[in-house]
Amino acid sequence: MASPRMPKPILKKTSYPATPVRNTSTTISTPSREERDRETALQHARILQARKEVELDILSAIEELLDYPLAGPPHDSSNPSVEDAQTFKNLLKPFQPSDYDDLIVERNIGENCGYALCAKPRVKDPLGGKYRIVGTRGRAKDFKVVERGELEKWCSEACARRALYIRVQLIESPAWERDVAQSFVKIDLLDEPKSQDIVGGLEKMNLDDKEIQDSTQNRQDLALERGDQSFASRNGLVDVKILEKDVKREAEAPSLEEDLSGKLNTMHLSLEGHLPRFEQQKKSLTEDDGDEDMDWKL
Amino acid sequence: MSSEQDQINKQREAGDRDNARLWRAWRTIHEMVQDRGYILAEEEVKISLSDFVKAHRDGSGMVSKASMKFSAHPSDAMMQRYSNPATESNPNPPPPDVGTIWVEFLEGDNVGIKHMRTFAQYLSAHNFHTGILITSVNITPSALKIIPAVASETRIETFNEQDLLVNITHHELVPKHVLLSKEEKSALLARYRLKDTQLPRIQMTDPVARYLGLRRGQVVKIIRKSETAGRYASYRLCV
Repeated sequence: MASPRMPKPILKKTSYPATPVRNTSTTISTPSREERDRETALQHARILQARKEVELDILSAIEELLDYPLAGPPHDSSNPSVEDAQTFKNLLKPFQPSDYDDLIVERNIGENCGYALCAKPRVKDPLGGKYRIVGTRGRAKDFKVVERGELEKWCSEACARRALYIRVQLIESPAWERDVAQSFVKIDLLDEPKSQDIVGGLEKMNLDDKEIQDSTQNRQDLALERGDQSFASRNGLVDVKILEKDVKREAEAPSLEEDLSGKLNTMHLSLEGHLPRFEQQKKSLTEDDGDEDMDWKL
Repeated sequence: MSSEQDQINKQREAGDRDNARLWRAWRTIHEMVQDRGYILAEEEVKISLSDFVKAHRDGSGMVSKASMKFSAHPSDAMMQRYSNPATESNPNPPPPDVGTIWVEFLEGDNVGIKHMRTFAQYLSAHNFHTGILITSVNITPSALKIIPAVASETRIETFNEQDLLVNITHHELVPKHVLLSKEEKSALLARYRLKDTQLPRIQMTDPVARYLGLRRGQVVKIIRKSETAGRYASYRLCV
């Protein structure tokens, strides 16, 4: 009592002599509030940055695909060159369907066919009018009224088919939100490069390069499988630690020594040791329970 | 009157209307550039329709957009307003972030990535600090994404021709917006003991904010008429 007491604050519940001591000990182990806030802010900034980078990638991919195809006359949209097809597929990986639509619009502004592997100009209908009637000669269900702009996106109906075949394979979720499984997107062309091109391409390919490519590919696949590439874990959103479980007892091989006669009629149903129950069995079980429950009524 | 004569008259009237539209957009963009503080001669801003058509028409008597472009330098007052005040920790502040402006009207039915790229390249090649692109159609979404991508080199703003037919700041319901300099802003915050985030806000996409070319973090003083107080000033932070 002899020591001069600090005035007791009414509002703040601090400055009791015992608490500061405890505080200093805890600050060492757990980061202070400011640090935590900073960490959170940084994490969100990183997420935004990654998103911006992906968007920039998509933009530059669109710009690159504006002038496609690079290969000359022997190749056309029904038989694209191997390199073009490969880069086209790679560039499309981060795309969403809406990005693909943007690509078609941009190509159309340059008067190209909307399909990026087609070198022909798009068709222009000299007649006016906003709508066109299609499918008048086929069956009744083919009959449609469509906007003229929709038809003028392509050089031919075949190209429209090819382009839309790719559009439906693109993943709806944006690239920065995709998980590991989704980033394994594989895109097929409706008209893949013809086989003789592949043979030619293989001859040109250097074996050493191939090995290097294979090893990098393997490493990437492994990283993906481990989840290293996954966006969330890469940025530390999820802190996963895997601990090996220590097994003390001797390992022993599984045996079939026990008596199986009781299980024989259900053994064909067992799935890795689990015996699924079916409706009848469930019903019989609940009935049994029900009997006991009804006792109080009598 | 013969039908042929009628046809010619119709065409001429339509052409006159188009010319008048372009003239109004031309006037508004000049007023805008002048209001931001760039140096423009009075006769350039207040050009009459006949003078405008005479200056910009091509062979057929129609105004061609290809000739509708100009540049302007910032005035000393504007440099002053954008300057960074020297502080104790930073006695040599960076120079003001303003420079020559380039305004261009773009022809064509559509504006895509390629048009935007050439515009951006033109701006950086000629060392223009800011560029204003005026189009008669909407710009494609992917072309708009180029603007933030080149933001480190040059500042691009886009306007639709239709939005420039009238000068919105001359409307009686639009109060006067005045951009504050950095010194004025810090004085204001000190006077009211505020952090800048505690001010009311104005969006960067607000029509008047776009007219003045506001940047994030700048403060505008809005002076409106008040029935009770005569004049009433409020301040908004651009976000």
